Amino acid sequence: MQHGVRRVVLDVLKLRDPPLPELAMRLSSIPNIDGVNISLVEIDQNTESVKIAIEGSNINIEKIQKLMKDYGAVIHSIDEVVVGKKMVTI
Amino acid sequence: MNKVKLYIQVTHVSDIARRYFAMNGFDGSMTVLGVILGAWITGVKDPKVIVMTGFGACLAMGVSGFFGAYITEKAERRRQLRELEESMLEDLDDSLHRDASEFASALTAITNCLSPALTAAISLVPFIFSMFGVIPIFNSYIASFTLTSLTLFSIGIYLGRVAGENVWLYGIQMLMAGLVITIILFLLGEFA
Repeated sequence: MQHGVRRVVLDVLKLRDPPLPELAMRLSSIPNIDGVNISLVEIDQNTESVKIAIEGSNINIEKIQKLMKDYGAVIHSIDEVVVGKKMVTI
Repeated sequence: MNKVKLYIQVTHVSDIARRYFAMNGFDGSMTVLGVILGAWITGVKDPKVIVMTGFGACLAMGVSGFFGAYITEKAERRRQLRELEESMLEDLDDSLHRDASEFASALTAITNCLSPALTAAISLVPFIFSMFGVIPIFNSYIASFTLTSLTLFSIGIYLGRVAGENVWLYGIQMLMAGLVITIILFLLGEFA
């Protein structure tokens, strides 16, 4: 049985609006996503750098990328991806 | 509905729409007050003249308010969007910020159009009744003057609430503006 992506951590630059709770809620409403954690790394006049950790089963990264684009956010890098039967940590 | 809420949150348009509503609502009331007082001083007995003059002024204010606010707001929002694009080093054409920006311009324009028309229409209602023979013209003048004063006072109360300060003081300040125009017009009427 294929488990797909179970966890992904993203480095994202977003505009200050919409605020973090709104983005987190919207991300968590994507199918197969069980939980979202957004941490603020740096704040600027118009933008925020954030780390977004998403957990679930068979996460569709393309849907996440599309949502980010819709919300005026840019994924700088995918910092972590976990796939498989077991959640492996470094 | 959620999208509308999101657009309002992103653009912070409620602040500016509130300002436009009060400012232009006040303008609408004052303009029609001027029309009504002018008609009273010159002894206009035909309610149709007052209704048509008042609605003409309302319509002009509404149309000018719509286009003026839409074009101004659109220009401002475009500039803000460009600033955001520069901050992100990214094109925001497909983002909700572009749609939210269009929405904010339209909402501001509609508010700017409807608020003077609404407050002006309130003052003209008694004359519409008079047109259909429901009440005599003299009573229309009294009723309209009372309604206009109440509208001005209500706008003041609303602004007092927005400021979180003494609402009665704000209400009275608005009424004073109406009183000033009344005194000036009666004085002009004396000399005319």
